[in-house]
Amino acid sequence: MGTVINIAPITRIEGHAKIAIHLDDQGNVRDTFLHIQSLRGFEKFVEGRPAEEIPRIVTRICGICPWMHHLAANKAVDAAFGVTPPPAGHLLREICQLFAHITDKILHFFFLAAPDFILGPDADYSVRNVMGIVKAEPELAARVVKMRQLGQMMLERLAGKAIHPVAGVVGGFSRPMLEAERQELLRDAETLLDFSCYALDFAKDTVFTRYKDVISELGAITTGFLGTVDRDDGSLRLYDGRQRLMKADSSCIDFEGDRYADHIGEHVEPWSYGKMPYAKSWQEGFSLDPAAPAGIYRSNTLARINVCEKISTPKAQAELEEFRGVFGRPAQQTLLYHYTRLIELIYVCERAVELLQREDVTDTRIRAAAEPRAGRGVGIVEAPRGTLIHDYTTDSNGCITKANLIVGTTHNIGPMNMSVRRAATSLIKGGVYDAGLLNKVEMAVRAYDP
Amino acid sequence: MAVRTVLEWLNSCSGCEIAILNIGEALVPLLTRHLELVHAPILMDHKYLGQRGDGTEFNIPEAEVGLVSGGVATVEHLQVLLQMREKCRILIALGTCATHGGIPALMNGQDRKEGWEGVFQTRTTDPGCSVPDVEVPAPLDRVYACDEKVEIDLFLPGCPPNPALIAEVLMAVVEDRDPVLPHKSVCDTCPVIREGKGAVSVVRRFLVNAEFLAEDPIDRMRCLLEQGFMCMGPVTAAGCAGGGLPRCIAARVPCRGCFGPVRRDGNQMLDMMNALASNGSDFKSVVDRRSLLRFSGAHGGLRPLRRKSAAERG
Amino acid sequence: MGFEPKIIAFCCNWCSYAAADLAGTARMQYPHNVRIIRVMCSGMVHPELVLDALSHGADGVIVLGCHLGECHYQDGNRKALARSEVITELLEDFGYETERYEISWLSSSEPDRLVKAFTGITERVRKMGPVNARDLAG
Repeated sequence: MGTVINIAPITRIEGHAKIAIHLDDQGNVRDTFLHIQSLRGFEKFVEGRPAEEIPRIVTRICGICPWMHHLAANKAVDAAFGVTPPPAGHLLREICQLFAHITDKILHFFFLAAPDFILGPDADYSVRNVMGIVKAEPELAARVVKMRQLGQMMLERLAGKAIHPVAGVVGGFSRPMLEAERQELLRDAETLLDFSCYALDFAKDTVFTRYKDVISELGAITTGFLGTVDRDDGSLRLYDGRQRLMKADSSCIDFEGDRYADHIGEHVEPWSYGKMPYAKSWQEGFSLDPAAPAGIYRSNTLARINVCEKISTPKAQAELEEFRGVFGRPAQQTLLYHYTRLIELIYVCERAVELLQREDVTDTRIRAAAEPRAGRGVGIVEAPRGTLIHDYTTDSNGCITKANLIVGTTHNIGPMNMSVRRAATSLIKGGVYDAGLLNKVEMAVRAYDP
Repeated sequence: MAVRTVLEWLNSCSGCEIAILNIGEALVPLLTRHLELVHAPILMDHKYLGQRGDGTEFNIPEAEVGLVSGGVATVEHLQVLLQMREKCRILIALGTCATHGGIPALMNGQDRKEGWEGVFQTRTTDPGCSVPDVEVPAPLDRVYACDEKVEIDLFLPGCPPNPALIAEVLMAVVEDRDPVLPHKSVCDTCPVIREGKGAVSVVRRFLVNAEFLAEDPIDRMRCLLEQGFMCMGPVTAAGCAGGGLPRCIAARVPCRGCFGPVRRDGNQMLDMMNALASNGSDFKSVVDRRSLLRFSGAHGGLRPLRRKSAAERG
Repeated sequence: MGFEPKIIAFCCNWCSYAAADLAGTARMQYPHNVRIIRVMCSGMVHPELVLDALSHGADGVIVLGCHLGECHYQDGNRKALARSEVITELLEDFGYETERYEISWLSSSEPDRLVKAFTGITERVRKMGPVNARDLAG
């Protein structure tokens, strides 16, 4: 019986998880497990609740991306009640989603992930964090804090509550945008667009070139990908579109969101509360073996960048072309999540500017009246961490009788397990390891921004 | 001297931690000058079992102040909370999950066994899946607020808590003084027009927007409860307001009680029903009144519905 | 040993509390299971008090007020009646059987009615078993 190394808790991620690395008698890696520790029961306790209240309950699945759950739930309840929001209602929701993506990406890259790169993966744990960045790079840190705060305040101005929002409502949005607000938000979105371009340049200089070797190897695995693309031209979409499931050989199946259960199944392992979605429609079963994975696809930024044909905004499209020129399509290296996250940051800023330039966003027709009824609705948006699926069935009083949720992060639980296995196996040999090395194993998880 | 601080999260969503980051300009000096974080899983890499992962004893460092978010739902949450009580001189329950159970305590209204099984038997799970039980922390019999398990020195509810109040509490600790916190109801901080009692006979669901003119400020809008919508302002603790407005009201959306009851041991559902009944409103018109306890289902507030016996069913 | 329920009785100072006194001096028997809490008026029994009693282990709660129309504070007992509807309606929500709660009216000269009410709720609750018995079982 060999030893077990525990990385507990996994830190600088959003959530509760630990890694157990089991060594054999020679001190080599025999097995690894990423244990997801939290179990809360949202699918169960929404039962019986009035459907229109669900978008303000499920936000608590995640305090970092509450907007995504809020909007996916709103879309699902719209569908269950058979109500179509007016154009401005959809626009306001999408603008909020974009703002939320902006702050989320800044938070993840600079507050959570960057310490590994700016201060180095082997830096002591007491300084390898955002406080360490403040000391090492005070100007950068001040700017990052300010930009993230700006995004949060834009949400607050438009929607009252930025964390655990309430402004999305069945049938649309709860308040219109005033012209003065539009102009102010547009100015601020332009500021964030400038910052997003700076952020990618900064990362190309200090991260992606300096850590080329780490990026090409750490936790690298070969999988398929899932994302959302425009129904007409296959470009990157976040608020609405068609689902696209791509195999590692780059062949694709597209499907409408309400058919998700035909394509995606969920596997349960006894050692993790996190369910593991897999591509059921590939009909190859489920296996986490990094050498011969079965049914495994990934979500989140790398996946979206891989599955889309193009990006509809110019700056992000230029970056996409440069990225594909270097890494191909689909790109498989796990740490490229960071790179694609910053490309997507540029896209969401550009898209926010684009929408805020439209005059119809200030239309006061923002909500269609809804009537409770028996029905079923599937709502899908792209959350920062992946394709987020909410599926509700209602009774004649409009209360929930059945719910099914596939949360962005969970698509990546299987792949994260594989990346951890890969990273640990290549790094730990003959029982020799240190704290910095274990941090590198964690970096393979952090790339997925779970 | 910087105050040694521990941040931990239990049955939580990390919204409280994001609220800390939303403190704004004061955040950088707070995190780097006034406080010294010695353990905070969301921001730094201190580990329970040593940095090499080979320790045998669960360890959180000693600190002057500990902030804990989330309720207590598993044996691991309990272990972390007990350790924090042991190691922190001042223990602060941060957010409504920690103070009253919060949204995840809605699970307390469900049959536990059936509930957990249901989560792993959905439309998409493989046939025959069961509740994981290897190396994952076992769930407790229900979701508890932190003060049901250990003594708590200071309660800072909110879902999420107000960044300004978090800053106030932390600075009060740094400056060794009592924090100034609100103690009234949301209505006391709400500027809408209230015309009086007895206007509402039936409580409406929020299926259409409130009546207001887009360009009018909030203080020109009629009280949402008086417009006939369920609004839990009267039975909810104040504290959410930013810029002088309760946050949901700022979005023209009624309050759902996310700061918990006005008195810490109050019962939001009972108080709301009592208020409606004494106002002459038909309290039976409220659909799913149990969800009025959606933020305060710990402390025994929410229980599984009693199954009627064969005799009662007739 | 058989189950002996604990019953909390909120008795109005002006009617039922006096009636209980009278029952005592008249050597009338009522079940020892009943613990009396004197209140100035049945109208001051907030629903929270009833739930508090049950959550702290009372197996049954009875509120006794003056006959409608005879309240010492004009309409306190009408308030009690309105609140009583809320209580009855909500008990199930909190996991309690509605039969664990009762409201009844009597005057200070009706100790027999008091004994009957006390005996009635005690026997009913005795048959139901302990409060939250299901929680304890599992």
